[in-house]
Amino acid sequence: MLEYAWLIPVFPFVAFLLIALLPKRTLWWESGAVYAIAGTLCSLVLSMLVVWSVLNGETLTTDTPKFKWLEVGDFSLEFGVWIDQLTALMLVVVSIVGTLVVVYSGGYMREEGEGRRRYYAEITLFISVMFGLVISDNYLQMFIFWELVGLCSYLLIGFWYEKPSAASAAKRAFIVTRVGDIMFMAGIIILFKYVGSLDFETLFSESAAVAVPTDMMILATALIFGGAIGKSAQFPLHEWLPDAMEGPTTVSALIHAATMVKAGVYLVARSYPLLIHAPESLLFVAVIGGVTAILAATVALAANDIKRVLAYSTISQLGYMILGLGAGGYLVIYANSPGGYAAATFHLMNHAFFKALLFLCAGSVIHAIGTNDMRLMGGLGKKMKITSLTMLIGALAISGIPPFSGFWSKDEVLAAVWHAGEFDSVFFLLWLMGIVTAFMTAFYMFRMWFMTFAGEPRSEYHAHESPRIMTVPLMILAGLAMTSGFVLFIGDGFKGFMESSIEGLLHGAEHESLVDIAAEIFTDPLTYVSLTLAVVGIMLARKIYLTPGFDRSMFSRGFNGKLQRALENRWYISKFYDDFAVKVVYGLSLIADKFDRYVIDGLVNGFAFLGGNTGNFIRRLQDGNVQRYASLILVGICLLLILVLYILPWGG
Amino acid sequence: MLEGVPVLSLTILIPLIGAFITFSLGKYGKYAKYIALAFSVGALLLSLLIAYEFATDPSPSATGYHSDYQFYEEHAWISTLGINYIVGLDGISLPLFVLTTLLCTLSIIFSWDTEKRPKEYFGLMLILEVGVLGVFVSLDYFMFYVFWEVVLIPMYFMIGIWGGPRKDYAAIKFFIYTHVASLALLIAIMAMYFEAGLQTFSMEAIAGVSVDFAKGVQVAIFAAMFFGFGVKLPMVPFHTWLPDAHVEAPTAGSVLLAGLLLKMGGYGIIRVAMTSLPQGADSLSVLMAVMGVVSIIYGAILCLAQTDLKKMVAYSSISHMGFVLLGFATLGEVGIVAGVFQMFAHGLVTAVLFMMCGVVQHKCGTRLIPQLGGLAKRMPIAAAMITIGFLASLGLPGLVSFAAEFMVLYATFAKWSMWVFVPIIAVAITAAYYLWALQKSMFGPMTDKIDTSHLKDVTWYEGVPVAILIVLIAVFGVFPSLIFSKITPAVEILLRLYGGG
Repeated sequence: MLEYAWLIPVFPFVAFLLIALLPKRTLWWESGAVYAIAGTLCSLVLSMLVVWSVLNGETLTTDTPKFKWLEVGDFSLEFGVWIDQLTALMLVVVSIVGTLVVVYSGGYMREEGEGRRRYYAEITLFISVMFGLVISDNYLQMFIFWELVGLCSYLLIGFWYEKPSAASAAKRAFIVTRVGDIMFMAGIIILFKYVGSLDFETLFSESAAVAVPTDMMILATALIFGGAIGKSAQFPLHEWLPDAMEGPTTVSALIHAATMVKAGVYLVARSYPLLIHAPESLLFVAVIGGVTAILAATVALAANDIKRVLAYSTISQLGYMILGLGAGGYLVIYANSPGGYAAATFHLMNHAFFKALLFLCAGSVIHAIGTNDMRLMGGLGKKMKITSLTMLIGALAISGIPPFSGFWSKDEVLAAVWHAGEFDSVFFLLWLMGIVTAFMTAFYMFRMWFMTFAGEPRSEYHAHESPRIMTVPLMILAGLAMTSGFVLFIGDGFKGFMESSIEGLLHGAEHESLVDIAAEIFTDPLTYVSLTLAVVGIMLARKIYLTPGFDRSMFSRGFNGKLQRALENRWYISKFYDDFAVKVVYGLSLIADKFDRYVIDGLVNGFAFLGGNTGNFIRRLQDGNVQRYASLILVGICLLLILVLYILPWGG
Repeated sequence: MLEGVPVLSLTILIPLIGAFITFSLGKYGKYAKYIALAFSVGALLLSLLIAYEFATDPSPSATGYHSDYQFYEEHAWISTLGINYIVGLDGISLPLFVLTTLLCTLSIIFSWDTEKRPKEYFGLMLILEVGVLGVFVSLDYFMFYVFWEVVLIPMYFMIGIWGGPRKDYAAIKFFIYTHVASLALLIAIMAMYFEAGLQTFSMEAIAGVSVDFAKGVQVAIFAAMFFGFGVKLPMVPFHTWLPDAHVEAPTAGSVLLAGLLLKMGGYGIIRVAMTSLPQGADSLSVLMAVMGVVSIIYGAILCLAQTDLKKMVAYSSISHMGFVLLGFATLGEVGIVAGVFQMFAHGLVTAVLFMMCGVVQHKCGTRLIPQLGGLAKRMPIAAAMITIGFLASLGLPGLVSFAAEFMVLYATFAKWSMWVFVPIIAVAITAAYYLWALQKSMFGPMTDKIDTSHLKDVTWYEGVPVAILIVLIAVFGVFPSLIFSKITPAVEILLRLYGGG
């Protein structure tokens, strides 16, 4: 089965070509949605078959079929397919969420008319290159698809390009992530020089790790993580993601919550065999993740745009995964335990489902009342029963309330971080940040839910429940958000499954039984600490946002309002970048332009002025008379010939 | 199939005949474009046939094969001076040779609506084609220099007659600037000729002895050549003729100027300077690298400040040609091959960009970015084309420039280690200026600064050339080995001089 895995990205790509190139009248229903759904369904089926093979213990990581991309002497680059447990996990996420979002789009994008063709073309192209990214068997191929998903993200954020804010957000997203991409590229260039190959198979072997000097390994892994900082919106390159909410909500759900932003997490997980040779980089990874998690959560507390709450929450949750991976690396090195790695990838999957659900619910709300501003909502629960209920499930899942999926994975991540504290006490601090984040997450999620669905309407709107084509995907995702946590206990257990993808790094680790895992979760006092905090967060949100007439002015009064203003201005980070771009970079370019015009060109013109008489003479000759030019050229050639034929030979 | 046929000479001859016919059309000037198109297509087809027949791994006994050159022809010309007519192709010149016939044909199509003095316009274009083709196939210094100078003249007239408001200034600046560079080149050629003392201008014969010149002599001659070719490339600080020339030149003139004339500089460095003077190249490689990196960064920063779409594209050429220089400067296989490939890639991409600037100018009457906005609504095809062009130019994988940029950066790291982080910054700046320009000109609300009521999308003679180029950009982006396989053997031969290959 696995040898056909390369077909997975081909189906959506064919759909893309058909939608982009077919004449208008053959696009049928919804301007091409049929092709998009068919293409993604085919890859869903094939993905599931591949995943099934992987579950049965098959992988494709050695002697993979390859296609030579280019070869210059010893420098050769090949493309291939790599299927292991981590790939399978990503295939599950991309194929399920991708298909559901495309189906949902059939309802959500109905009013777009002509624009739908562009929308479906771009979204199928995105799904195709996203599959390409996850099945890559080397860093260069991954980088190529990495850039292409960035391109699709750019195009889709700017879908409503007439809106200045959308055009600007698209540009920002591309440029900011490109800063990360360049670091990624520099990282793989370093690896390539020392190892001479970018194939995972070669790079992840012990001999490759020896070939790279330690300081270069630290630099290379840190730079590769730089790519993840950009793509997964980690501090300090995270500000593009909230701006990216200018795109259609379906795009936010698919690209900016469930799949593309996970590529960075996937990259870090994929690079584990390298990262464990550079604990310094792992610590860097963990600190960036922890800082991002808490920073983004604070901004989400004060956001009033429903999509921005979700965007900051995505950043925060991505920070969790990155933190988990950083801690997990320490556990692999010092404790031979796959705990953190499994927890972070588990959270990746669960988060993809419940965050896609939350976004699509938000899309359903926006579709119904036409605004993103939660201050104009309220009381929607009565009109939109399915949406409010499914969104409640999503909110419970992300807040970490059992038995919903977020509880299992978030708890595992925090446990791994705590556990890593035994090897470096920084992790205790990071754990503290994580647990505070968990509290804030529960609070802002329920603040959002109460402001949207509970209480009384705060503006005139005519809400209605969304059509079936939109609510069915919501219900499926809600089902996944409720149940995906239990894969922890199915078969070998999720931990055992993921463990096999990094087997080579674990020396003599003992396999934990499912009973042990369950016992660990329920006997650990830390579980109850985070659970209590989550419940307190929800109760607090209920108290503040559901009690009629509750005085919320204390927020604007605290710290003389500075805190609230800072949060509403997103800690001024965005402003700092704007100032940096406009004042420093653009200013520098203006200075360079003046320098070029007056100094460099001035010098040239100065030389020309020295020969002014000659110049004047030539200028008089230059009157546009072609005959005269021709005769002058002839004279010139004759003079040159005389020079060459008769004068120069005596010189030598 | 082509055995015994002087096919390179024929390819040069076809546009030359076409030019004579075009010039002598008299009152039938309106047919000039058909004649020009017919002859340029003829040359294009012949060059494609050559590319098809070109052997990656030729047998030394094959007809027309002579010491690493294929389709070789040699005839005595002025024997008292040792001037011969020698032409031949290898993997370095082949991509540029085909690029020349392609861009000339597409430029002629693009200029389909030229009303002003069409005979001269299309005739000069064909003369230009003759000159550039000649430069890329000449293996004799005298011929090389004659063709080199031939190229200048039609370009001078294209800017001076069909140019914009400041055409006189731009044309004379272009002419004087490149002429001073040619002078340095002439001195260098003469120095090689006399130092070799072989009484021949044959490049190969001179290279056979010039590699053993004293180091000081090599460095001096290399420096003169480097200046001569560098102005053409252009490299900072000898670049200021370029933006002026581009801003004033007609669209087709810009396409040929950026697509082909700049490549002559890069081609000269590798074909002439590096092949003949290995010690000179070795001593000056750091200088080349510094010039390359400065061009890359400085060109990119200047782009950010431009408000004229065409001037921005012109400055971006400086930045991208810097990659060629940097690749060559590494004196390693990957870097040089990538440099040659980058010339080819830049030729395709920059042609798209200048053509699209021409479209914007034509439809909107201005190229000033602050005057534009929201054009995508009314010109969706044009907007898509310009977007693809910009993406290709900023090095998006899957399009042609990426492989070259990646390899140059790799080669730079392999040779100079951490210094790679200087040119790599430009990759981000490049994305910034292109996307900024896209956002302000194509996206956002429709501009009210110009009359947009009659805006139309691209016409066929604008759309077809760009579409062809875009297809090629994608094909060679996905399958770069089609070109790399041709370039690599030639570079390996060159590298024997540098103890590698």
